[in-house]
Amino acid sequence: MRRYLRFAVMLAAIVALTALAAGCGSSKKSSSSSSSTNSSSSSGGSTANASYDNGSSQKGGTYTVGWEQSFGFTDNLDPTGEYLGNAWAILSNLLVRPLIGYKHLAGAAGNALIGDLATDVPKPTDNGLTYTYHLRSGVKFGPPINRVVTAKDVVYAMNRLADPKDGAEYGFYYSVVKGFDDVVNGKAKTISGITAPNNNTVVVHLTQKTGDFNYRMAMPATAPIPPEVGACFEGKPGNYGRDLISSSSYMIAGSAGKFTSCSALKPFSGYAGADGNHLNLVRNPNYNQSTDPYRKNYPDKFDFVINSNADDIFNKVQAGQYDDEESSPSPKTLRKYGTNANLKKMLQSNVGDRTWYLTMNLTQPPFDDIHVRKAMNYIMDKQALRLAWGGAIQGQIATHIVPPVLYNGGLSEYDPYASPNESGSLQKAQAEMKKSKYSNGTGMCSASACKGVLMIGDTRALDNRMIPVIQAAAKKIGITFTVRQINGAYTTIQTTSKNIPISERPGWGKDYADASTFFNALFTSGAIIPQGNTNYSLVGITPALNTSKKLGVTGDLNNVPSVDKPIAACNAKLGQDRINCWEGVDKTLMTKVVPWVPYLWSNVIKILGPNVTHWNYDQFADDTAYSLVSVKK
Amino acid sequence: MIFYIARRLVWTIVVVLCVIGITYVVFFKLPAGNPALRFAGKSPTQQELAQIEHRLGLDRPWYIQFGKFAYHFFAGDQYGWPGLGYTYASGSSVKSLIFQRAPRTLELIAGAAVLWLFTGVAIGVISAVRRRTVADRVAMGFALFGISTPVFWLGLMMLYIFWRRLGWAGGAGYVSPATSFTQFFSHMILPWITLAMLYAAFYARMTRNNLLETLGEDYIRTARAKGLTERRVILKHGLRASLTPIVTMFGMDIALLVGGAVITESVFNIQGLGYLAINSALTQDLPIVAGVVLLAAVAVALMNLIVDILYAFLDPRVRYA
Repeated sequence: MRRYLRFAVMLAAIVALTALAAGCGSSKKSSSSSSSTNSSSSSGGSTANASYDNGSSQKGGTYTVGWEQSFGFTDNLDPTGEYLGNAWAILSNLLVRPLIGYKHLAGAAGNALIGDLATDVPKPTDNGLTYTYHLRSGVKFGPPINRVVTAKDVVYAMNRLADPKDGAEYGFYYSVVKGFDDVVNGKAKTISGITAPNNNTVVVHLTQKTGDFNYRMAMPATAPIPPEVGACFEGKPGNYGRDLISSSSYMIAGSAGKFTSCSALKPFSGYAGADGNHLNLVRNPNYNQSTDPYRKNYPDKFDFVINSNADDIFNKVQAGQYDDEESSPSPKTLRKYGTNANLKKMLQSNVGDRTWYLTMNLTQPPFDDIHVRKAMNYIMDKQALRLAWGGAIQGQIATHIVPPVLYNGGLSEYDPYASPNESGSLQKAQAEMKKSKYSNGTGMCSASACKGVLMIGDTRALDNRMIPVIQAAAKKIGITFTVRQINGAYTTIQTTSKNIPISERPGWGKDYADASTFFNALFTSGAIIPQGNTNYSLVGITPALNTSKKLGVTGDLNNVPSVDKPIAACNAKLGQDRINCWEGVDKTLMTKVVPWVPYLWSNVIKILGPNVTHWNYDQFADDTAYSLVSVKK
Repeated sequence: MIFYIARRLVWTIVVVLCVIGITYVVFFKLPAGNPALRFAGKSPTQQELAQIEHRLGLDRPWYIQFGKFAYHFFAGDQYGWPGLGYTYASGSSVKSLIFQRAPRTLELIAGAAVLWLFTGVAIGVISAVRRRTVADRVAMGFALFGISTPVFWLGLMMLYIFWRRLGWAGGAGYVSPATSFTQFFSHMILPWITLAMLYAAFYARMTRNNLLETLGEDYIRTARAKGLTERRVILKHGLRASLTPIVTMFGMDIALLVGGAVITESVFNIQGLGYLAINSALTQDLPIVAGVVLLAAVAVALMNLIVDILYAFLDPRVRYA
């Protein structure tokens, strides 16, 4: 009897626990169904918040940023080679002053060039081949150098960019400078096309007209470096990052004293390296605010701290222990901030100048047929893909290659593959597929080449949500995929010999506000390389190129379209002519080449802490405008 | 015994070298792509890639790289002894990075180990002695909970309840004991409990089962018949004989946690060796991966040796030549 009683008690307890769990589950479901993110139209994005201000910007305090997992710096914060966007936000706002800079604002205003170390943005002379920069006076390096920045320091930085032993990662932008490639190839020690006729003037001679050259001179690698310190790290890429000498308003904590020799120079305590867990910046005592009309420099300190727990980052932001974050808010966090009236104003969402897309290989069946590629554009459910990302707050549905902000709003209505609610159109897709050699006239991709097509994806939760959407859409037109998900899929799709037909992984962001940063790297035949290739679609590939560069590409290479000539033509243009030219290339790619299915122009989402009193978005770096933020003491 | 220890140490070196060799093979043979691409920018030329590969030493076959690593490990490098080289990401000394992170992991393991050993064994003893009572049921219920609960969930719950809601603990993050012992304890108590929970549950079950088996032996009945107190019978005669498998498990658990407490370290933002190893594996920073694997392999081998030596004290029948 006792045994049966015990059994009955146990059973009752199990039933009670199950009921409790069911109750919890159902209430969770109802709360999630009532939550919503920002409002959205069919293709429009969420409301962009360019800035936050509660009216009390003030000097002082420490701005603390929780950074998820690891800094991820590509060159240890060494400006010569550092290519991470988040690092650029720190470098350009706080640590270095290139000749040309930005106002660190959102939108078109944030993409407009200003003179930073230079007095103004020069127009080219000598038929567009010469740029002359005049340096502001009174700009000094921080400790331990403590002297005025001169033209020779800019020349040194440029030479460092050219020296292959110093780890430059975007040196290719400066090949247009006369003599740059001679240094790259070891034929010269210094760049003949850059001179400093006096301490306050830098003259740059180009080999060809380059309409976006001033944008290239706004990148952190061109900022002045004192040769006496730079020489300590020659041939040691990345090492300079821990002894970075500030030419701007802040410096790495621990920069102190006076430079005597390389052997006496120790890494500054405020930065533990790319593998470390902190980066602390303090004011540069030699900084002269009167030389800098755009940086406000409110906080006394910036602390960037690594935190391995993303939930903890957002808990600490909400609790006020962090003011900002370099992380990816989870859908739960977005819902919380998006639906709570008190928290909503701390959620900042701005256009990120980045396109996410499915890439199709023009040499691999069935995507070697333009009608199949067009049909993929018509059938894809872009709304569902955006939902997989987290909804409208994540950005605007992409309808062509380059985000409209890079055309100053141009092509914002251009949508060559429009469908109702951007959810795909079976009718249009099948009409296009009928013209394909892989269709039997029924509007379905019926050939064997359409079945089990290899698709490469990554292993993030996002990819797991996107892949079924892509599979379901493609199946409607008879294309089925064999999906292989690889952790860090980029290295696979960047290897040409792997001959990957399609991938859902890629995205591409600008380096600066010119569409050339998309087209040159993504669609020119010169950009195709065996490893690290970013022209995933192999636009412009020829059999001769395949052989000469040992690309290992199989398939039909004879009729792959090229856009090399129109891109070259646009590269030389200036101003609105240049923008119009790029718009033309975009349209050509979308209608006559069709290498992609673009689906999202993603936003950059930031969640701010309660102590932040002013915040701006920096359109150049697509990150926080650290030089304009303010925090309560 | 001395000869036995020396022989075991030599074998430890052989085992560790084999483990590192396998690490190199796995790193190079798995299709993860060229690590040099990570430092090459968006559109590298073949020449730039070749330069980066040369700088990082990746242009040599894996067995040459392994040979160099093994040589520098014994002979030292520019950062001293043991020579573990420098990281790809920042050029920092791997040795200094590991030594910087190792105390965090060791402190996490030490605190959790004390907790799980004493808690687990105590619960196991109580459960065995009070078999089929409410205490036994509760203890085994705790064991079931501890074994079933995912570590990451338990850690997040602990943070939510004890830090966020009650404010009793210091939350995620690490504070060195040299900076403030109070803050150190406050931040570590939750990760200690989280990590200890799973192991305490295993140890409780193991202790209970072993002790029950031992308490059924004839010599235990003899001890009781001779008039020894129950406490003496259980603790001196029963528990001692039951501890051998516990000691084995304890040694292995400690050793495996040296590089394996990554979930606890991630949830509580401790950033110890496990976290370092995972990050480095994801970013293909081979020198750090090799360094942590080396440390973990040495830890496992040494703990095995210590455990075997302890056997000789626990069980008089065990003697080593």
